[in-house]
Amino acid sequence: MKKILVGVVAGMLVLWAVPARAQSLEDLNIQIHGYATQGFLYTTNNNIFTTNSSDGSPAWTEAVVNVSAQPTPKLRVGVQGRYFLLGNLGNAITLDWAAADYKANDRFGVRFGKVKSPSGLLNEIQDIDPSYVWSLLPQSVYPLESRNSVLSHYGGVVYGTLKLGDKLGKLEYRGFGGQRQLGPTDGYLLNQREAGLVLPNGLGGTLEGGALHWKTPLPGLMIGASDFRDNHWTAQLTGNNGALTGTEKVEPFNLPDYFARYEKDKIMVAYEYDRIPVKASLQFPGLPGTPIGLDERSWYGMASYKLTEKFSAGVYDSQLVDHHVALGPARYSKDWAISGRYDFNQYLYAKAEQHFIRGTELGFDPDMNPGGLKPATKLTILKIGVSF
Amino acid sequence: MKNLLFASLLLAAVFTLVANTEAQVIVIANPSVKTNELSKSDLRDIFSGSSSSLKDGSHVIPVLLKEGAAEDEFLSAYVGKSDAAFRASWRSLVFSGQAAMPKSLDSEEAMVEYVAHNVGAIGYIRKEMKHEGIKVLTVK
Repeated sequence: MKKILVGVVAGMLVLWAVPARAQSLEDLNIQIHGYATQGFLYTTNNNIFTTNSSDGSPAWTEAVVNVSAQPTPKLRVGVQGRYFLLGNLGNAITLDWAAADYKANDRFGVRFGKVKSPSGLLNEIQDIDPSYVWSLLPQSVYPLESRNSVLSHYGGVVYGTLKLGDKLGKLEYRGFGGQRQLGPTDGYLLNQREAGLVLPNGLGGTLEGGALHWKTPLPGLMIGASDFRDNHWTAQLTGNNGALTGTEKVEPFNLPDYFARYEKDKIMVAYEYDRIPVKASLQFPGLPGTPIGLDERSWYGMASYKLTEKFSAGVYDSQLVDHHVALGPARYSKDWAISGRYDFNQYLYAKAEQHFIRGTELGFDPDMNPGGLKPATKLTILKIGVSF
Repeated sequence: MKNLLFASLLLAAVFTLVANTEAQVIVIANPSVKTNELSKSDLRDIFSGSSSSLKDGSHVIPVLLKEGAAEDEFLSAYVGKSDAAFRASWRSLVFSGQAAMPKSLDSEEAMVEYVAHNVGAIGYIRKEMKHEGIKVLTVK
């Protein structure tokens, strides 16, 4: 399905290139944009995100290039590639998205190809560092290590805005469906991989979902919800350094998400809650099946304030509890963070952020912490970014 | 004499203050745009990428200035964002595949020229600029 969708988008680009000889590049509104960021991580205890952060680590680099064209006022095609390095993860160039977008009017549009998944408050922009004050979004809902696998899917999105009248505001809707694939080295599978259980072809399957954003009559206030369903996923599993071959099966599950945001002048306040309940099983021939799973309930509250034209500050409290894990620091992650962002100009910015993390449920893996995990860690982040 | 001078200075200060609180930019549109007026919230929706049409059904395309006093005032008066925040919000849409960056022009003369010759174009210039071939929209 992936190849068909990307092929269709590529075909559309070629088809428009033929008549484009009769049009100037100006008429096609071809644009090239990009951004790059370099981060530095330091932790007082525990190495985080597969980096040697306890010694200070610069192993956090991202770069994106985006090319788009708009051959007609209602049709836009584009492609975006990404380079991502985080510790031992990534270090590769991947296709972020490649899509054709037809917007008939404000009430209805459709986008297909490899498209961003419009779930939650920030999923569509969680990887777009220039978009927000923070160096690291609340990890309870937007974990960095596994970010790339939830950003997009192969399939489509239908979207639009319905005006409900002056007294009821506007309702933005998004519906989406298609296929998602986690690669074998994906962050979601890190701990399983480090335990010797490898999915050589990754893990994936179909999904469908929707999101509603109600822009209320109170200017600046938006309340929303989203839900999507990952259907039955099955993948080949190997263990004991390839000596065993079996199957990992993930039962269908929903990911409900509720959020609200208020923005006025220099202030932004937001809240989000989600739940990820996963039941899966590992099956090796001749051995009893092993049930695995998680039931993560996460939330955060955040606020930011534009102190000057160039400087903004923010703070958030982010919490996650996995109800499948026994009591103790491994069951939860509680993180409060304070951030600052300085915009030198419209292209260049810098960020500094301090985190106070309790619990080890998120971000820490055994291989990078062979001596065991301490229950609390302070994380300092410095980041510089450029976008155009 | 001193009282007259003081009163004159005070009046001059008041007039200056009043002049500065009136918007110095006007919103212009291609003649294909049917309406003659629009609300501040509709204007903000268009220039923030939330909407691409007006209440009368006209499809509109926002056009920006790259920099300058007119751009700063327009963003402050009608969008409520600084230039950096405004560009960042558009880049969110661009990098998530939801929109293309609006065209940015080097000068107000180029803005008038572009708006006059492109169906649905809507932009802004300083009041005192010549603006032939376009229509001026009243912002309620």
